[in-house]
Amino acid sequence: MEHKYVGKDYIRPDAVSKAVGEAAYLDDIRLPGMLYAAILRPEYAHAKILDIDTSEAEKCRGVVKVVTGKGCPFRYGDNIKDLVPMAVDRVRYIGEPVAAVVADTKHNAEAALEKIKVTYEPLPVYVEALDAMKEDAVLIHEENGEYWHLPVLKPEPGTNIAHHYHLLKGKGEAGFEDADVVVEGEFEYPFASSAAIEPHGSIAWFKSDKTIEVWSSSICPFIIRQDLAHSYGLPVSQVRVHIPEIGGCFGYKSDITVEQTVAYVASFVPGRPVKWVASRKEDFTSTLIGHGIRTRMKIGAKRDGRLVALKTDVFHSTGAYADTGVNVMIAATHNSSGPYEFEHCDFHGYCVYTNTPAVGAFRGYGHQESQFATERMIELLARKLDMDPIALREKNYLRAGSINALGEKMWKHSGDVQKCSDIVKTTIYDGQKPEEDEDFYYGQGFAAVMKSPKGAPFSTKGCYMKMNIDGSVSVNMGGAEVGQGLRTVVQQVTAEALKVPVDKVRCYTEIDTQFSPYEWQTIGSMFTTQGGRAIVRAAEKLVNSLKKTASQVLRVDEDFLDYDGEYVFLRSDPSVRVPVTEICRGYIGTDGITIGEVAQATADARLPRYSNPNEQGQGSLGVSYTFGAQGCKLRIEKKTGKVFIDHFASSFDVGQVISPKQIRGQIAGGVVIGVGAALHEKLQFDEEGRAQNPHYVKYHLPMLKDAPVKQTIECVETPDPIGPFGARGIGEHPVIGVAPAILNAIYDAIGVDFFEIPVTAAKIKEALANKENQS
Amino acid sequence: MSDTITFTLNGSTCTVKPEAHMKLLDVLRDELNLTGTKRGCDNSTCGACVVVVNGKAVKSCNYNLAKLEGAEVVTVEGLAQGAQLHPIQEALVEAGSIQCGFCTPGIIMELYALFNQNPDATRDDITKALNKHLCRCTGYEAIVEGALLAQQKLLAQKV
Repeated sequence: MEHKYVGKDYIRPDAVSKAVGEAAYLDDIRLPGMLYAAILRPEYAHAKILDIDTSEAEKCRGVVKVVTGKGCPFRYGDNIKDLVPMAVDRVRYIGEPVAAVVADTKHNAEAALEKIKVTYEPLPVYVEALDAMKEDAVLIHEENGEYWHLPVLKPEPGTNIAHHYHLLKGKGEAGFEDADVVVEGEFEYPFASSAAIEPHGSIAWFKSDKTIEVWSSSICPFIIRQDLAHSYGLPVSQVRVHIPEIGGCFGYKSDITVEQTVAYVASFVPGRPVKWVASRKEDFTSTLIGHGIRTRMKIGAKRDGRLVALKTDVFHSTGAYADTGVNVMIAATHNSSGPYEFEHCDFHGYCVYTNTPAVGAFRGYGHQESQFATERMIELLARKLDMDPIALREKNYLRAGSINALGEKMWKHSGDVQKCSDIVKTTIYDGQKPEEDEDFYYGQGFAAVMKSPKGAPFSTKGCYMKMNIDGSVSVNMGGAEVGQGLRTVVQQVTAEALKVPVDKVRCYTEIDTQFSPYEWQTIGSMFTTQGGRAIVRAAEKLVNSLKKTASQVLRVDEDFLDYDGEYVFLRSDPSVRVPVTEICRGYIGTDGITIGEVAQATADARLPRYSNPNEQGQGSLGVSYTFGAQGCKLRIEKKTGKVFIDHFASSFDVGQVISPKQIRGQIAGGVVIGVGAALHEKLQFDEEGRAQNPHYVKYHLPMLKDAPVKQTIECVETPDPIGPFGARGIGEHPVIGVAPAILNAIYDAIGVDFFEIPVTAAKIKEALANKENQS
Repeated sequence: MSDTITFTLNGSTCTVKPEAHMKLLDVLRDELNLTGTKRGCDNSTCGACVVVVNGKAVKSCNYNLAKLEGAEVVTVEGLAQGAQLHPIQEALVEAGSIQCGFCTPGIIMELYALFNQNPDATRDDITKALNKHLCRCTGYEAIVEGALLAQQKLLAQKV
């Protein structure tokens, strides 16, 4: 379908303010009377706190208050209320808040921090889920099972298992009886950091009128509002949360984390706003981290390559608190089928407390972790069957009529993985793979992916729009712009829905829970689909209200009227018309008498028939899936083991491209995050739970020279019935297939299988040396 | 350090009395309230804080104030002429180089120094300069495009 504004490129509305330094991020906000907090972190990753002596710190220059967690009366969390804003009598990970100093300057707060003396009694440390699951393991939460949690979660009291998820399809494991060939493997997607260039931070202010005002670099203002209100016994309406510009998110600025700590600290200095911004080290170890997922997988297939059974065990080292990690584990588990149909599935997922920072969202949210296993396993199976791995995939892709692991039926409009697969196959397997030469090995690799939607029973996105007296439109929503280009989506979808030029649509900037329409949270690549749908619904209401007014002015029934963005007119005689500029505040007659209503509307959009999982762990996620494929050509330098990605190709069925340039930016950036995961990034903890590399460089974020030399990005457009003008989200998808595509290409180049990432140059060199020794 | 320091900031003379622990970034952000320059890390690695001092791109988070006396400092706030963007800013806006925008000021100042020193910088020079900056959003592709477009605009301006 031809669209006037959707599918074209426009300059994003926030680009100029970001280019001139006007865009205000959290740390750029200065409030009258503002104080600064510095937070003490423990010496041990797991220990009892025996004593905290704050007396020396209290005497330091500029210090207003020293705060500890002693006596903190509440726990918080959105899924499991297992979190504390500050350690009470025990620390459970190396980045946990132990005490805080509030002072007149950041420097003075930090200086005083060093004077706090803490006596600890160390406890055993568990970094890996499998260790924390051992029978004799010390309990990281003795209260496990007693915390309030969502009814669908199943903690196992007396263990470190915060939730055990089981999914059963068909005969489950008994399905392997039907298989001719079975392959098994174990894979690790290690801890990592979203590592946005803007560190996470918050400002909290307990005001004298018994309200709380918060600023945070967060994508979940309404969760923060609700959770703080609950913790401090206030009506939700008494908490006001502002979200300024956000300097990148990639997941970890979701949920509620540092806001509770900063609020707790600020509650000791009522009347004064308190700011805290993470140092880079704190951003790595005291905010949410990503992944920590070990996947054991067993695939059963017929001799002809038809997949029949899949068994997956996901072991999630979820960290010291499970509130934010539990859904990552669930997503990793049920998405482990990848884009394939298995008649029989038996999936177990374990969300396990460990003495590491809590895991939360990181772009991909479970998908890349378990599908890394799936897409490596398919290659192993293809070898065993002596089949072409892409042909094996093609035989098993989910397509119209297939039933996925969750028991949901696929439709044509669910998207076309075959088409994406063909595009990537043609791009990468172009018959031009160079022969090994003096300096390099060459390889090609492929992966197909599935992204499921992310919802919740109460997930919705609201939209308020008004038409102004000049026919321009103001749109207000609660979705957080983190760089992904959400504001452009708002502008273009509104323009299309209301038939007004993009430059006449003003998208909101700051989010403020006092004014912004309700939004659950801006997560799961759902804004385009769900937010876009809310816009379309609001626009329909707004047009109806214009027609209602016009019908009085033109003295004709509403259903005879049409609207073209500038006029409401009689369909059968367009010369009978009234300009929208004359009716958007109601119609003012020559005698000054006004009729009709103001042209404004609100709407929201929830997920159709989203449901909780049933007893089999199955259930509807409520919206269409997104499918795609990725592949690469790479070179491995013999001397160094270094991998150079010469060409990376991605294709996703996005339903409808909203902005070609921005979708390319999203995919290109997501691929580079995937390259980082595959080849460089691992947040390393030693046996004592101490972070070994909480700094850029040692934690190697991909730089320009690490990015693929060339990226091919091609979108397939099978319209989605829910999203605006057929569009689906694309935010997280580009990271999902990168690691397996690269590792499959590494095998193609040097004949070595890797099962863990990152595959660093050193690991490749070692593998090459081993290979040489063996031959 | 209780001494005052006088330097030129975005074309105007400026005197500050910084505390001993402060670096140039602290002076810009905390003393002078110029928040366009960003802090992204603890150890001079991310490039978000890059400003131009005496024509050179420097990391302001690590820039010793002892060297600041009499220096000429340009920050991201000093490039646009009123509402008229500098060609580098214009190019990055047009090329779609900006997503979250947090690395943008540092990159703009890096390119400003590079193209001032060497208007005909090769693609390799540009890559080397940009390789000092971390960006988590874009995958760098659009930033390189923006840099090349900026160079074209600047060269066209000179003709």
